[in-house]
Amino acid sequence: MNPDSPKLQRLQSELEAEQQHPQQKTTQTSTAREFATPEEMLRHDAAQTVVPPGIKTRLADSVQQEPAPNRSPSWWQKLFR
Amino acid sequence: MAAAVIEPPSQRKRPAPVPLEVGAPEFAALYQAHSRAIYYLCLRMLNDPTKAEDATHDVFVKAWRHLDQFQGKSSWRTWLYRIAINHCRNLQQGWAERHVFPTADEFVLQDTVPDPASPFRVLEIKELGERIRRTLDHLPPEYRLLLLLVADQELSYEQVGALTEQTADAVRGKLHRARKAFAAEFEKTA
Repeated sequence: MNPDSPKLQRLQSELEAEQQHPQQKTTQTSTAREFATPEEMLRHDAAQTVVPPGIKTRLADSVQQEPAPNRSPSWWQKLFR
Repeated sequence: MAAAVIEPPSQRKRPAPVPLEVGAPEFAALYQAHSRAIYYLCLRMLNDPTKAEDATHDVFVKAWRHLDQFQGKSSWRTWLYRIAINHCRNLQQGWAERHVFPTADEFVLQDTVPDPASPFRVLEIKELGERIRRTLDHLPPEYRLLLLLVADQELSYEQVGALTEQTADAVRGKLHRARKAFAAEFEKTA
């Protein structure tokens, strides 16, 4: 990439600004925020929610002890319908 | 001849569980795609992270047992939601005998209801989860479920209607009241 290209210059100036004001960015992400609807707020909340990793481990254990399901040959093909 | 040593069952070591990706890779993909949505629904319906964790596990075990019953007429997300809603409702039945929740018809909005069309301003995003928990806790269960399902952009109003046993038009109508109720309760948590 040409070091004098406008794209690179903009990136550099953004990086410099970030280095000079690192706290500003942190403050922006951790304080006020507006949501247009309750659903938008719930979506944000859901996206921030971490699924406890223990569930997957327990599930693997439970599935191992269960008899294999009576699977039709193509059930997994419907997975991402 | 050496005597065979037989360990009592309680002392036998259980084999380490095979990771889901290895033992059931397609099911692992299903879990990966939908576990967050199911866990979040359980968390907000049951209002308890430990119960939500157990419920999410149980929902996916039920799904595993009944994989052959999935007809492909609905999406996997809708199918899993149906299992989760029924499971959470069963768990809540015991609590309902001890707690009285207002129904949507009984829920009375005060005169000073904020305009639901105005944006919700949250000053401290880190407190958002707790405020949402307290807000949903005071809503009629019908409104709570409706808002949680509509918030999932993978579901259409028709699918939300099918999950809550009403028409898409009824969903639209109740959603307006649910938003108002949410706005009123959310303001109280500030």
